[in-house]
Amino acid sequence: MIPHDSARRPSVLHIFKVYYPDLFGGTLSVIRDICAGLKDIFSAGVLVCSRTGGKSRIVVNDVAVERVRSFGDVLSLPAAPTYPLRLWRRIAEHDLLALHAPFPLADLVFAFGLGRNRPLVVHWHADIVSHAALRSFVEPLMRRTLRRAEAIIVSDAVLIEKTPLLREFADKCHAVPFGIDVSKYNLPALRLDRVNARGRLVLACGRLVPYKGFDVLVRAAVDRSFEVWIVGEGRERLRLEELIKSLGVQDRVRLLGSVPESERVKLMCIADVFAMPSVTNAETFGLVQLEAMAAGRPVVNTSLDTAVPQVARDGIEAVTVPPGDPEKLGDAIDSLIADPERRRRMGEAARHRAMTKYSTAAFSKGIETIYREAAAAPAPTVRASRAAAIGWPHTIQIAAALAWSDMRHRYVRSLLGPFWMSIQMAIMVAVLGSVIGHFSNASAVARLPMLALSLTAWTFLNSVVLDATTALQNSASLIKDRALPPVIFLLQCVFRQGLFALHNACVPLILWLFLVPKDFSGAVAALPGLAVFIACTVGLSLVLGAMATRFRDLKPIIESGLTLAFLSSPIIWSPEMINQGSAVMRLNPLTHLFAIWREPLSTGHVAMPSVAYVLAGLIALAVASVVTVARLRKAAFWI
Amino acid sequence: MANITLRDICLDYPLYGAYDFSLKRRLLGRLAGAAAPIQTIRAIDNISIEAAAGARIGLAGPNGSGKSTLLRLIAGVYPATSGHLAVTGNVVPLLGLNAGANMDFVAADNISLLLRISGRKPTPALIDDIWAFTELEERMQRLPLRMFSSGMLMRVLFATATAFPADILLLDEWLSVVDENFSAKAEQRLLKLVSQAAIVIIASHDHELLRRTCTSIVNLDHGRIVNTVSLEAPSPHPFELREKRA
Repeated sequence: MIPHDSARRPSVLHIFKVYYPDLFGGTLSVIRDICAGLKDIFSAGVLVCSRTGGKSRIVVNDVAVERVRSFGDVLSLPAAPTYPLRLWRRIAEHDLLALHAPFPLADLVFAFGLGRNRPLVVHWHADIVSHAALRSFVEPLMRRTLRRAEAIIVSDAVLIEKTPLLREFADKCHAVPFGIDVSKYNLPALRLDRVNARGRLVLACGRLVPYKGFDVLVRAAVDRSFEVWIVGEGRERLRLEELIKSLGVQDRVRLLGSVPESERVKLMCIADVFAMPSVTNAETFGLVQLEAMAAGRPVVNTSLDTAVPQVARDGIEAVTVPPGDPEKLGDAIDSLIADPERRRRMGEAARHRAMTKYSTAAFSKGIETIYREAAAAPAPTVRASRAAAIGWPHTIQIAAALAWSDMRHRYVRSLLGPFWMSIQMAIMVAVLGSVIGHFSNASAVARLPMLALSLTAWTFLNSVVLDATTALQNSASLIKDRALPPVIFLLQCVFRQGLFALHNACVPLILWLFLVPKDFSGAVAALPGLAVFIACTVGLSLVLGAMATRFRDLKPIIESGLTLAFLSSPIIWSPEMINQGSAVMRLNPLTHLFAIWREPLSTGHVAMPSVAYVLAGLIALAVASVVTVARLRKAAFWI
Repeated sequence: MANITLRDICLDYPLYGAYDFSLKRRLLGRLAGAAAPIQTIRAIDNISIEAAAGARIGLAGPNGSGKSTLLRLIAGVYPATSGHLAVTGNVVPLLGLNAGANMDFVAADNISLLLRISGRKPTPALIDDIWAFTELEERMQRLPLRMFSSGMLMRVLFATATAFPADILLLDEWLSVVDENFSAKAEQRLLKLVSQAAIVIIASHDHELLRRTCTSIVNLDHGRIVNTVSLEAPSPHPFELREKRA
């Protein structure tokens, strides 16, 4: 960790998807309470997304909040394309990162290894329950984040037990129950004259989202006498309004919308029963039921696999019913409505539990201890790879020296050296040329230079890729004993085969000089295309070479793939010989990879779709190569 | 200035079984939802070492105690799983027994290739210099390395690696293969390198060698440091040692 003078408080960056004033909810009040509770020890910053736009930097309760523009929600996640970038840039400014999970957008940033030099604490608020398909996709990301986290904070020990992903990291999970300030709910005047007077007001609070199960509560109100007030806003509002109308309970069920906090406290204090009908495990704790408990209300909650039935226990502070069962929920509420004495007993037990078990001081203390330990933990700094240490110019130099000595060794073994291969190639061109001459009516002799050149290029690509699949294993000693970066040996393949290709290039060059009228403009126009061809070959050798080393069964697949590619691409035959509409040929990237330098050479211009196709492929290969070079740090484990 | 700092370094070495090298198996395993995570072994467990210029550290310990892995970690072959690692100075690692030599190439070509790898320009004079240190016959320069005995090979590689002053020299079980005569000469050269403000780390089973050449000996077992013995004088009395061994 960076040493800092004692006067400066270490700073914590809270990472979440949304914050005040865009939304109100349990998770947000937890973040707010952490910021407020630890403000003397840690300075806090919050980085979130916002749909409403407005100012990007605001201050909420003395905490600097930075809001990144989001274009709406996709699968409950904000679509904020610039968030990862902004997060990456903010990480360096803070001493500790506090990720409020689930938030896959941030997991993505950590999965790329960014911010590795800052300690991370994960507040595990909930699992992703509603989108099963999304979950299987982001689970590896979440696992990576949890693996690198110093500590994982949950609200109750039962969550560690019931969440498979957390069980893997049980040794760094800490259960810190949320805290509540009971004194805020001391409204004795209201309590005395209103409570039990009518005795039939049921309150529920929360964002109007499906997992809160408010539709179950509305159904439970059918044919009963109690009134239901639901506080909160959200995308389910229209559907709930329709449901209320269609069930004909609009005289007793009201959606109050968002309500300021002070008003909500009053509502909590005048309600007779507090209901939390949540239907999925996305409800991990139910901070609102703790608020109701602080206000001395009896609770009706659901028997989820989370902390919900542990916070308010069945028969003591609450009546717990199965989730999603309107009949049982209605019965439970009715039984409480009908028994004021039981309501009073439960309410008092609830307030007592909130005061003793869930104090704000204990919560702040628990979080502070974990933050302090995490911030003091040695940051998992891992040095940059040797490739970076050695430097790219030197890497390329070594690769070139190795390739050069390989070629010299060929000359040592035989006088002609690699020219043996060129002779082979000349024979192949002669034979193939005469065979293909019979296929088409055009003069076979005029085709020979292009055939020879195409074969030279193909031989280069083919042997670079084949060479790369075994290069790392063959150089195991230099990698493990001399600590050379593995990427050197993939580049060595390219350089070595490049030198051999220069030998082979004599064949097309001689044919061209003797058989074709001289026109150098075409040759110049072909150079950019050839450069792209070589760049693609380098990319392929890096990616396939690394993958074939990691996964040994890839080599035979690559070999047969190359044979297939050779036969299905216009290398020994030309596109004009077959039906132009062939879809396989048009989709085959090799067709275009050859076209971008062959067409300028023969006709002087090149088709734009080919260029676009090849450039798109080159960009994809470039990205894959960057990832591969990063992954090659681990190549020593594979060989 | 050469410096090595290891703080709480851990390395989880992945143990790839035969099936872990198969992409098909991995993909099928993932589709079936039974993807077994790759097993790892903690090869280096929470090791902290500080070495400044002039330090000669001997690593001792039974087979599999993590000596070679630790050297490779310092050399940058393996990325550490966690902990802080900082190495300043250029590292010359001589780890495996043939340390990157190409057995098909003649000795002189190997020397010039190895010099190029460490960023030096090989000149005939330089190669002759190195060859003189090996005390091998002149004509053997033109023989492929596979004709050499392991001791002769070692001479060539050691002479090449130590031809230039290195900041950090990492040796794994090296001086044990060569004969006594060359070993004494090699030790002389090592001491000279150390006097030129270098760090030398030697892993060996030969305690006597470590005691002769090192300033401190780190005993490893199961990837942990068992103890660190610091030897003030670089060459302690050989009689005492013999008594202890008896």
